[in-house]
Amino acid sequence: MILDPVLRAPLLGSMLMALIASLIGVLLFVRKRTLIGEALSHASYPGVTLAILISGWISAEWVILLAAFISSLLGFGLINFLKKRLKVKEDAALSFVLATFFGMGTLVASIVSRTHSFQFRQIQVFLYGQAATMGDGHVLFYALFALFVIALLVVFYRSFLVCSFDPHFAKISQLGSKVIESLFLATVAASVVIGIRSVGVIMMAALFIAPPIAARQFTNTFSKMFWLSALFGVTSGFLGTFLSLSGLPTGPMIVLVASLIALFSLLFAPKRGVVIRYLRVLRFRMVCVEENLLKALWHQKLVKLSPLNHFLFRWRGWIDQEGHLTELGKSLGARVVRAHRLWEAYLVYSLGMGISQVHHNAEEMEHLLTPELEEELTKLLDDPKQDPHAQPIPPREVFA
Amino acid sequence: MKEALRIDQLTVDYEKISALWEISLDIPSAQLVAIVGPNGAGKSTLVKTILGLIKPVCGTISLQKGKQVSYVPQRQSVDWDFPITVYDLVMMGRYCKLRFYERPSRIDRKIVEECLDRVGLSGVKHQQISQLSGGQQGRAFIARALVSEADLYFLDEPFAGIDEASSQVINEILVELKGEGKTLFVVHHDLEEVKQRFDYAILLNRRLVASGVIDQVMTKENLKRAFGKENLLFDRLTKLTEQKAMGFTA
Repeated sequence: MILDPVLRAPLLGSMLMALIASLIGVLLFVRKRTLIGEALSHASYPGVTLAILISGWISAEWVILLAAFISSLLGFGLINFLKKRLKVKEDAALSFVLATFFGMGTLVASIVSRTHSFQFRQIQVFLYGQAATMGDGHVLFYALFALFVIALLVVFYRSFLVCSFDPHFAKISQLGSKVIESLFLATVAASVVIGIRSVGVIMMAALFIAPPIAARQFTNTFSKMFWLSALFGVTSGFLGTFLSLSGLPTGPMIVLVASLIALFSLLFAPKRGVVIRYLRVLRFRMVCVEENLLKALWHQKLVKLSPLNHFLFRWRGWIDQEGHLTELGKSLGARVVRAHRLWEAYLVYSLGMGISQVHHNAEEMEHLLTPELEEELTKLLDDPKQDPHAQPIPPREVFA
Repeated sequence: MKEALRIDQLTVDYEKISALWEISLDIPSAQLVAIVGPNGAGKSTLVKTILGLIKPVCGTISLQKGKQVSYVPQRQSVDWDFPITVYDLVMMGRYCKLRFYERPSRIDRKIVEECLDRVGLSGVKHQQISQLSGGQQGRAFIARALVSEADLYFLDEPFAGIDEASSQVINEILVELKGEGKTLFVVHHDLEEVKQRFDYAILLNRRLVASGVIDQVMTKENLKRAFGKENLLFDRLTKLTEQKAMGFTA
């Protein structure tokens, strides 16, 4: 497919565009400024429409792109002015610029639609993107721009990290500079402008947001954010273009794929995914129930195990045929009782709580004793032999 | 004794919320300096102004020349969800020593490891910063300041919301740094601790109440002037001034 000259350019172009957006998106995402992409992409619209209106005489793509770039910088300038001078909150300033600029653009577009129907079709291209009309020239240009973005991130990596996380520290340590930050914002605006040609004004912002969201689900490291985000972005670009071969529009398809990747990551990422975390909560609840049962058996109370628990306990070798605890089961039960009584001792002797109140608290805390915590607790309390109710605390050796 | 900080007739107007009026003071180097005052007294504003993060309306600030500065921000101003591990956070403190084309060397990594060990965070160095307890978070930022090997340190409420053991570790480090001839400015809320552990104090309530050697600053009269109810009137006056300045009242 890559060898097919008609498909090659749109495919490579979309992948490069997605790569650029997903890399820049990481920085916007960690600074909680993802909406700036949305605002800037809309702010470029009046530039596009005005340029096309005029380019009835000078029809050249780079003129339109330049006008879009200037327009989106103006939008950014207005956002800053509203924030710094008029003390408008960031979200309000962004929405204001987004709405007014897009409104102006639409106004001009409607004039164009009445007078120049051919130019109006060109505007549509910029609004929704038209990957299919990309040529090798576009691809080369996107590739150069992608190289520039990567170089920028590599060279100023530390500066971007510190400026994003702790701008004050950056300033004091002379790690950031206004020049680097301005260069970055100009790059954002430029990538927005270039992006709207391939995926369109409306869709561009999604490519800033979705890949970093997905990436964040899988890593806690700043540098890995870029790798993962780039991976997700490029994959979206590839799959989106590929799936749109049947005649569907490419831009929306890419965004759809990117959003699905983000959604999947939010739900199923191994550490932070909602579903996985929910399963862990369920598992913890199950462990609590099992530990309570073990404790009750250890106290030789009459316990009726549910068929499932009976099966599990048997299977793990915690109980014998008559339902009595095995040696293993006893040691596990003793561990729970030890946890309970250690916490009771801690609450009474270290925190000075009343003896009558602590049983209830310890009932919950007994399920939360990691080996390290137990070690510290034992040391802190000087390896106590009795809890505050004068009950013996099972020694550690029993289940060591 | 060399001077670490001299402030002359400093007035700050920061986002119309907390202002500082006509502050003048001198602090010698190699001291533990507490910055004390009630809520909204402008303690953080003073620190940020000294560090050049806020532009004053008028007045001059001179820090010891050619000396490197490090800063520990207030806990609540940190984005704890940021994708960064404890190790990378501390390594940030070394960045100011590197030229932009240099990568952290083996020496940098060794210093980071040592400081992590010093504040007792070696075991959690690969965790994301939100997974730490409050005390551990405080110690992580102290470690970042430590590795920067600065001469002047500014710590904004490093003792707020942390456990006793962590406070102890931080206190030890402060004393150690002072012993190495460094000057430390610490925004502090515990007056008793300040009296016991610090050499100098800057007592603020928008205006300067007193500054100098600890015993002369933390007197009953001064504390009353900074914390007493008499300040309520001054508070209202400041508020009124702001409103007037912004044209919200006739």
